[in-house]
Amino acid sequence: MAINTGKILRVNLSSGKVSTETVPEKIATDFVGGRGYGVRYLYDELNPGTEPFGEENKLLMLNGPLAGTTAQAVSRWMTCTRSPLTGTFTRSVCGADFGAWLKFAGYEMLILEGKAEKPVYLHLSPDGCKVLDASEIWGKDTKITQEWLVEKHGRNTRTACIGPAGEKLVKYAAVVSDRRTAGRGGTGAVMGSKNLKAVAITASRRLFLADPETYEKLAKEQVRTILANDAFKSHKEWGTTTTQDVTNEIGIYPVRNFRYGQLTDYKKVFGAEYRKMRVGDIGCYSCAARCGKVHTVPSGVYAGAHSEGPEYESIWAFTGSIESDNIEASIAADQLCDDLGLDTISTGNTIGFAYELYEKGLLKKSDTDGLELIYGNPAPMVALVKKIGYREGIGELLGEGTKRVAGKIGKGSDDYAINVKGMELPAYEPRGAKSQGYNYATASIGASHCYGYAAQDIFGAPFPHPTDRFDEGNADIVIFNQDGTAWHECGVACAFSGGWGWMGLFGKLITAARGIDAYSDAQLEKVGERMFNLERAFNVREGLGRNDDLLPLRIRTEPLHTRKAKGEGQTVSHNGEFLDKYYSLRGWTKEGVPTAKKLKELGLDFAVKDMK
Amino acid sequence: MSVEINIPPSLQSLVDGVRQVEVSGSTVGECLKDLVRRYPRLKEKIFTRSDRLPKSMNIFINGASVGPRSLAIPVRDGDKIHIAYIVLGG
Repeated sequence: MAINTGKILRVNLSSGKVSTETVPEKIATDFVGGRGYGVRYLYDELNPGTEPFGEENKLLMLNGPLAGTTAQAVSRWMTCTRSPLTGTFTRSVCGADFGAWLKFAGYEMLILEGKAEKPVYLHLSPDGCKVLDASEIWGKDTKITQEWLVEKHGRNTRTACIGPAGEKLVKYAAVVSDRRTAGRGGTGAVMGSKNLKAVAITASRRLFLADPETYEKLAKEQVRTILANDAFKSHKEWGTTTTQDVTNEIGIYPVRNFRYGQLTDYKKVFGAEYRKMRVGDIGCYSCAARCGKVHTVPSGVYAGAHSEGPEYESIWAFTGSIESDNIEASIAADQLCDDLGLDTISTGNTIGFAYELYEKGLLKKSDTDGLELIYGNPAPMVALVKKIGYREGIGELLGEGTKRVAGKIGKGSDDYAINVKGMELPAYEPRGAKSQGYNYATASIGASHCYGYAAQDIFGAPFPHPTDRFDEGNADIVIFNQDGTAWHECGVACAFSGGWGWMGLFGKLITAARGIDAYSDAQLEKVGERMFNLERAFNVREGLGRNDDLLPLRIRTEPLHTRKAKGEGQTVSHNGEFLDKYYSLRGWTKEGVPTAKKLKELGLDFAVKDMK
Repeated sequence: MSVEINIPPSLQSLVDGVRQVEVSGSTVGECLKDLVRRYPRLKEKIFTRSDRLPKSMNIFINGASVGPRSLAIPVRDGDKIHIAYIVLGG
């Protein structure tokens, strides 16, 4: 018998009304859950032109059909909304326990509407959902906030909250749960715009499974497979704290605001150096990888800095972006981002941009509150993180993100703003990994490395076929990676777990959980394509098109300097050939609009009328 | 017998920048040893002290993953081996 693996909780913060709904079976089969539900409901419920900080915008918090169960690495969760940073559909994935707790409370989706008159938080418990006064925690950082909530509601409480950055509408503010973040796209700022400080869930473990016996057998098989897998073991040992060893080696570690692809003394930022300061490991609900590596700085200027992280992107954000090899400073900056509720990638990229503006005289000491933003010096970087988080001084401007900062400063500063659709580029230089670069250009949410990670370019993975990382023609690879990621994020399965040998069980687990036989591998692949197309339709409806699928000017016109690595002199030509091929393979027009034929093929007839 | 080994980007600097190397061997292990014979700097990257592949490395034969515990797997003339790192970044 088909059962719902979780209901929808809808909370209107303007009226205080709380209601529950059931996901229709057709949506459950066509969109599965997680990001699939996110795009489906936002497409339906947001009118085109909805202001991201307006009351009409909606913030969704979603887990997936497998959350809270004994299966490994499937209890992640995400936020979805219209992004204040990019104006696109956005999703931001998070870990820790919150996804499981949302499921224990009985939900797969929380829809947050309207705007509270004053700061509030939600408390979900067996007694229902209450909208409570948050005045005592408004203004507090995420660590203090979460401690306060747990003390008030008990140890069996898990939380998702914003820090000062979200309250002050930093365009890349994050939602923080424990010490993990839903970082990208500014979903924390949308939460802040609703005067919503936190969601706290007090719950005990409950399962919602149509066929618990089959599910447990499959879950045990999944666990056995994963625990024996060497990729899992490697990830357990290092997390992503060694990725910079590889990216520096091949010249794709962006340095000095994407002018170089390698740090001069890059061995100083190797994973083995971070290992010396590691004090523990921490993980997400029901995941034995425990890939969160916890570091404490033992001595020096940043003594006492303590972070669950930094992981690869954050390592890069606070070293490569400003050409520093001071890893202690990166730990301090990472901790601040978690405390204040900031996306480390956009923060680091924006600071690297600010350093270049200072270098070129477009920002002066009088603009930077006396800070001298000189590449190689991490002290101003750490100070800037705090200013951005509290929107103080120069932080008021930098909190807008590189696109808007460039817009305000003018004088050609746009040439140095490294973003796509307003979202700052992450830690893989596109000129040395061009399939990754074209993923940045075409991903629905802006420049996201996770949206279609090009392991083929970066690590030599030969499926579905090998690539030359300097080749601009791999549109099929970009689509393969993007659509695969999409259905994976319906689970919500951890991105890293995809290489642990268990994905053949994914659809079977969902079938056993839901009691609906609609999740074969072929059906899941179609779900991924469907989701990506609906996200594109969302963005087209907002006025985006081919002109927005564009890498930054620097990437297109300035030769990369790789120092000792291969790839010196590379650019990404972006001469139109890739996009023509990509759109053709996608079944879109030459302007990047999904055709009626493609939308109908995917069961998205309702979106046809919106494509002009 | 000739087998092609494809070198991942991060190791190409240790093989004079080449992406593919033709080697001889009837198993994955023999092929990798032939590779290391020609490019000794690869040894510490491809083999652990106990002469096994590191956990972070995956081997593909003709596009299919055979996992890092693959040294004894036989190969045929014309097979293509890919060495790929398993690390992902985030």
